[in-house]
Amino acid sequence: MIPISHILALGLTLFGIGLVGVLSRKNLVVILMSTELMLNGVNVILAGYGHHMKSPNGAIFALFIIMVAVSEAAVGFALMLSYFRQKATYNLDEINDLKG
Amino acid sequence: MHFYLIPLFPLIGVLLNGLAGIRYFSNRTVHSIAVGSAAMSFLTSAWSFFVLAGSDQASFSFTLCTWMPEVVVNLAGGGRPALAIELALSFDALAAMMTLVVTGVGLLIHIYSIGYMAHDKSYARFFAYLNLFTFAMLVLVLGANLAVMFIGWEGVGLCSYLLIGFWFDKDSAADAGKKAFITNRVGDFGFILGTGLLLYFLGTVDMATISGAVEGGLLDRDVATAAALLLFLGATGKSAQIPLYTWLPDAMEGPTPVSALIHAATMVTAGVYMVARMHVLFTFSGTALAVVAFTGAFTAVYAATMGFVQNDIKRVLAYSTISQIGYMFIGLGAGAYAAGVFHLMTHAFFKSLLFLAAGSVIHALSGEQDMRRMGGLRTRIPATYRVFLVGALAIAGIPGLSGFFSKDEILAAAFASGNYTVWALGLAGAGMTAFYMFRLVFMTFHGKERLDGETAHHVHESPGVMLTPLRILAFFSVTAGFAGLPAVLGGGNWFARFLEPATGIHEMHLPHATELALMAASVGVALSGIGLAWFIYVKREGAPAAAIARRMRLLYALVCGKYFVDEFYNGVVVAGTMRLGTLLGRFDLGIIDGIVNSAARLVRALSSASIVTDTNVVDGAVNGVARVHERFSVILRRVQTGYIYNYALAIALGVILILTLILSS
Amino acid sequence: MNLIVFWFFGAVAVVSAIIVVTHRNPMHSVLYLSFSVLAVSGVFFSLQADFLGAIQIIVYAGGIVVLYTFVIIIINLNELQREKRRFVPRLFLVLIPVVLMAEVAYALYRNTASVAGGAEEGITMEELAHRLMSSYVVPFEIASVLLLAVLVGSIIIARKRVIDDSN
Repeated sequence: MIPISHILALGLTLFGIGLVGVLSRKNLVVILMSTELMLNGVNVILAGYGHHMKSPNGAIFALFIIMVAVSEAAVGFALMLSYFRQKATYNLDEINDLKG
Repeated sequence: MHFYLIPLFPLIGVLLNGLAGIRYFSNRTVHSIAVGSAAMSFLTSAWSFFVLAGSDQASFSFTLCTWMPEVVVNLAGGGRPALAIELALSFDALAAMMTLVVTGVGLLIHIYSIGYMAHDKSYARFFAYLNLFTFAMLVLVLGANLAVMFIGWEGVGLCSYLLIGFWFDKDSAADAGKKAFITNRVGDFGFILGTGLLLYFLGTVDMATISGAVEGGLLDRDVATAAALLLFLGATGKSAQIPLYTWLPDAMEGPTPVSALIHAATMVTAGVYMVARMHVLFTFSGTALAVVAFTGAFTAVYAATMGFVQNDIKRVLAYSTISQIGYMFIGLGAGAYAAGVFHLMTHAFFKSLLFLAAGSVIHALSGEQDMRRMGGLRTRIPATYRVFLVGALAIAGIPGLSGFFSKDEILAAAFASGNYTVWALGLAGAGMTAFYMFRLVFMTFHGKERLDGETAHHVHESPGVMLTPLRILAFFSVTAGFAGLPAVLGGGNWFARFLEPATGIHEMHLPHATELALMAASVGVALSGIGLAWFIYVKREGAPAAAIARRMRLLYALVCGKYFVDEFYNGVVVAGTMRLGTLLGRFDLGIIDGIVNSAARLVRALSSASIVTDTNVVDGAVNGVARVHERFSVILRRVQTGYIYNYALAIALGVILILTLILSS
Repeated sequence: MNLIVFWFFGAVAVVSAIIVVTHRNPMHSVLYLSFSVLAVSGVFFSLQADFLGAIQIIVYAGGIVVLYTFVIIIINLNELQREKRRFVPRLFLVLIPVVLMAEVAYALYRNTASVAGGAEEGITMEELAHRLMSSYVVPFEIASVLLLAVLVGSIIIARKRVIDDSN
């Protein structure tokens, strides 16, 4: 039997590590990987709660999240590739087209 | 009755050839469109003609729309009718006859031009102009009121200008075009004044209404005379009569088909047509009618004398045209409007035939127009010779050919009207016409060959596409006269009876014997003219002509110099106009500009005063708003760095903030 | 026993995740990401979420990680720029997630402290399938449409734009 606090600790740690990656890294690929980590952390928490509450809802939510993660990765890479063709860079220091 | 389709087809042709043809169409497409539209127009005319002939209506009318909306006009005699001018067309016997001539001769000339203009680089432009001319001429003919007629009147003037100056890279052609246009302006001014006068006194420009009002005695006789003379001034410009004839000989600079169509068959007869159309006014005035008759008679003789000495084949024909139109005016002036219009029709056939045949000669001689360097062409281009001879016999008034009937009818009418001076001038003119026409024939086709070696080598008969229209015209030159076979020769003068609804009834009270005697006289004169020409130019090979020229040097110089009318016009009218222009220019610079400038200075002072308020108050408010926006946006845009991690950081901080708020509540 | 398995895999996932975020070479990051993902699937198994664990392996390890690898190969990250960022801002960046996590943990814990003790048996696959095909059938179908849209969309976005100029 795994206490809920343990599950929370693990999930939040994974989420936090991912968030640190998103905030601190400047490589676009690594940032996308970090978002995968964050989603994994959330999935762990969802599965844990489902397990605890004897409900399939947690697993189903996690399933949808995985599906969304796949979509996000595919579209994200597509955008990245087409952006790279134009600018030839992934370094976020050089990507500031949105600058006001 | 869809007679309004008649001018529509040439208009479509203009639009196609003028807008797209010049750049995109092949020559074959261009002339297919042009000739096709002319043919369609001709068929519609013929159909409309038969519908009119078969109906008991005097005329058909068609109103497209209101051109100038109703305005209240203050009439000279009091009364304030509301006047609207409409874009209206009408189709009566006179218009039917005229449209048939315009579209029929026009069609033949379109076809002829395929051959004549084949090597010209501006092929599409030529056909577009030709179609535009046909359109304008048809508007002139079909116009139901003077305003619409004026559109056509100006339109044909414009086309005449464009086509005379068709080879505009030649200075003489460009100058001739300008001369034709400016001379016509003088006449057109008369036309506008006449229209305005009628508008002022009758409150309408509709021709049927004007005729009705004149017959109803609503118009003062002096006013009628003034209006008629002003309109006749327009006619002298368009129809090249004294005093505005000088442009027509120069107009021969244009391509020969143009000379045939515009400067022989159709446009120059517009004046005749207009007078016939307004015949009620002219008859009512009486004085105006006499002026028309005398002008015609003098022009007929005067132009014929200049025809004696010209050596350019087309110029001889040009003077002949002026002279023949003089005949038409004699007919009109004698009150025999149908006779004048009859001569218009026969003249359209034989004169366009002569012009086109002359074009064929010029074509054969690679552009040579001087008769002194022709001669003996009878055997070299026999087909052209034959049709030319038919035309010459017709214009000379040899019995059986169309010119004989129409000319005799005019002379008989002049005699019957009791105006023997006019009749005598006309008879003299007939003899002179026969003389100079056969001088032309003998110098060109008979006698020794006087060609340049190079030109003689290239002499060739024209292609079938040029000869076929010539043969058709020759056929009509012979037969058209029988449409107006006079009663004395066993005919019923069908032509005059057809025109009766439009031109009124003209009764001639001449004994048959007198009429026959008049015919014999004119035939005798014509034959002696031909005989004299034969004697001088064939028998003695031109020697007597040179002798006469030597004997009467002064007179010869005068005629050769075209009576120095051009020089007179240049010296007096043109120079005077220019001097007046300079004077007016000085007046303009000194006084008008002074007034304008001081007005401007006043406005400037006012506007500087208004600028002060503008900059300080209005601009201040506007700029203030803008400046506030600018300040804020400078601050706000710093937030938008464009770096993704900054945005991510902002999201994270935002989540923390929201969670803190939720948890603390 | 379960707790030991849970923390074994959990520790592997956390350590791999830290390496993913900190390693300079993205190729290595991808490898550690696959470790981390597989470890998380182990965590799922320890939570008796068998189906989720299987999906995690199939989709993440089999799909996403391979995708990352390909992308890195395609876009040739040879000349990796050294990331220049001073220490203090980095510390600050770690601080933010820590604060966030603390808050989330507090919120979740406060609201779910009363959750009943877990069961030894997990949810059966059958139950999951029933639920997915009854209550969640609409989102399920929408998800399939979304995946199709992603398929088409990413192909369109990523393909080479050859300007169709026949002239």
